[in-house]
Amino acid sequence: MLREVAIVGAGWSGFRSISPDLSYKEMMYEAAVRAYEDAGIDPRRDVDSFVTVAEDFMEGTSIFDEYTPDQLGGALRPNHTITGDGIHGLAAAVMQILTGQFDLVVVEAHSKASNVLTFPHILAYAMDPVYNRPLAFHPYAIAGMEMRRYLAETATPLEACARVVVKNRANALFNPLAAHGANISVEAVLGSDMVAEPLTRLQCADHADGAIVLVVADGATARALTDRPIWIRGIGWANDTHTLESRPWGEASYAYLAAQMAYRTAGIKSPRAEIDFAEIDDTFAYKELQHLEALGFCRPGEAGLWTLEGGTEINGEFPVNPSGGSLGMGHLLDGSGLARVLEVIFQLRGEAGRHQVKDAEVGMAFAWRGVPTTSGAAVILSN
Amino acid sequence: MSLLERIAHPNQAKVWYGEIPIQSRYTVGITGERFFREIKDNGRLWGTRCPHCDLVYIPPRLYCERCFAHLEEWVEVPTTGRVHTFTVVHLDLDGNPLPEPRIIAFIQIDGTDGGLIHDLGEVDPEEVCIGMCVEAVFKDPAERRGSITDIRYFRPVG
Repeated sequence: MLREVAIVGAGWSGFRSISPDLSYKEMMYEAAVRAYEDAGIDPRRDVDSFVTVAEDFMEGTSIFDEYTPDQLGGALRPNHTITGDGIHGLAAAVMQILTGQFDLVVVEAHSKASNVLTFPHILAYAMDPVYNRPLAFHPYAIAGMEMRRYLAETATPLEACARVVVKNRANALFNPLAAHGANISVEAVLGSDMVAEPLTRLQCADHADGAIVLVVADGATARALTDRPIWIRGIGWANDTHTLESRPWGEASYAYLAAQMAYRTAGIKSPRAEIDFAEIDDTFAYKELQHLEALGFCRPGEAGLWTLEGGTEINGEFPVNPSGGSLGMGHLLDGSGLARVLEVIFQLRGEAGRHQVKDAEVGMAFAWRGVPTTSGAAVILSN
Repeated sequence: MSLLERIAHPNQAKVWYGEIPIQSRYTVGITGERFFREIKDNGRLWGTRCPHCDLVYIPPRLYCERCFAHLEEWVEVPTTGRVHTFTVVHLDLDGNPLPEPRIIAFIQIDGTDGGLIHDLGEVDPEEVCIGMCVEAVFKDPAERRGSITDIRYFRPVG
């Protein structure tokens, strides 16, 4: 990259299945105060620009981007709100710093999912209004169709998907920020209510409320602020076609392309050898497996067996979602990617406590924007 | 300073409810107009072809997503296809259990590189498999109104 870029502060609020006591603004404020304390900065004096990520329909407010500055300390400053996942927001912050015009940029994303009363309708409203929406089916049917095709193409057993749930929810038991830690069995996962065959309810991440704020700086500013910056080595993002009728149903092309872009920037040739652990999207259990393969950590068809062998456990060869992922922490809507990044930061700082990965030096976070999208973003961080 | 005091009693955790009536028109466009007119008037499927990529698009479109060429060649395609993937969805749009689960499939239309998302009918879920040959079942001409739902569902061939 043209300039070095690092994360110098991280804050959060949450994560819980409901948050009746705090408005989304108060959650953002709480996360921001933590992040600014962590970075040792005053937002009114030091921050050059603010990037937030939000989607109007999830917020229940149109032109939502107008609602972000106050609670971040960003009024009367450059503000930039995008739709996408939080890692897309992080990419926007990195780009702003790379211009040379900004040295310290704040990124925010959040979820107040418990206030969203008609979630499936909002997802259905994202489908093509002419060709798909008149059929009026629950949009998780898209995940069910994709899962079936992925399992068929890769000969991945159903048990492997269930093991992802068992692993991630067990990891979450050791993560005090996680909302959905649990000890469950493969049989319980596969025997839970059917949503969209072969997808069962326990293979779908439940939501959580929370906010994440990161403080991002150029290399010189980062070194002046902290002796333990978390370096952004590479970042990438990509979309496949949104059209349901021409997307590849078995593979996650967007993940492959986003990762390749991040690897190019980071100079990574062999991801599995050069990266120590990953926090990757597991909105649906099969997605962790499909994404592991698309990100190049193993070949198509291997992720399921690797998981069944325990290779992706916290103490395994390549820990995946030591935080518990979205299945264990709760899905944070557009904030999910920043929750993945937050965990990578904790791991690289050695602050992950009982779910600490040994010798964590390079980590990846990967986000997918959920059904019905084919939108992914990847970032590689090191200490 | 962060949050100095918090709400300590659930009955103080007040909420306000809101809703908005959203209504929109969706212009189906040049390709959509012809596609839906053929379904409505003739019970037939038409796609567009990219001569550079040798791809036939269903649903039809005016441009090739691979090479960005402007597409002008229309081709009639069969009303048959194969189940590329499918699911049995058990929930309705409110998240409640459906009394009768629906089989939703992506049907790759024969002779094309695309297909249609639709229900499968006249078949039990246990009998459906990837690769199954199916055909479109259209509503009676008088009932059609130029919509994707002018196709009732796809059913197994034979």
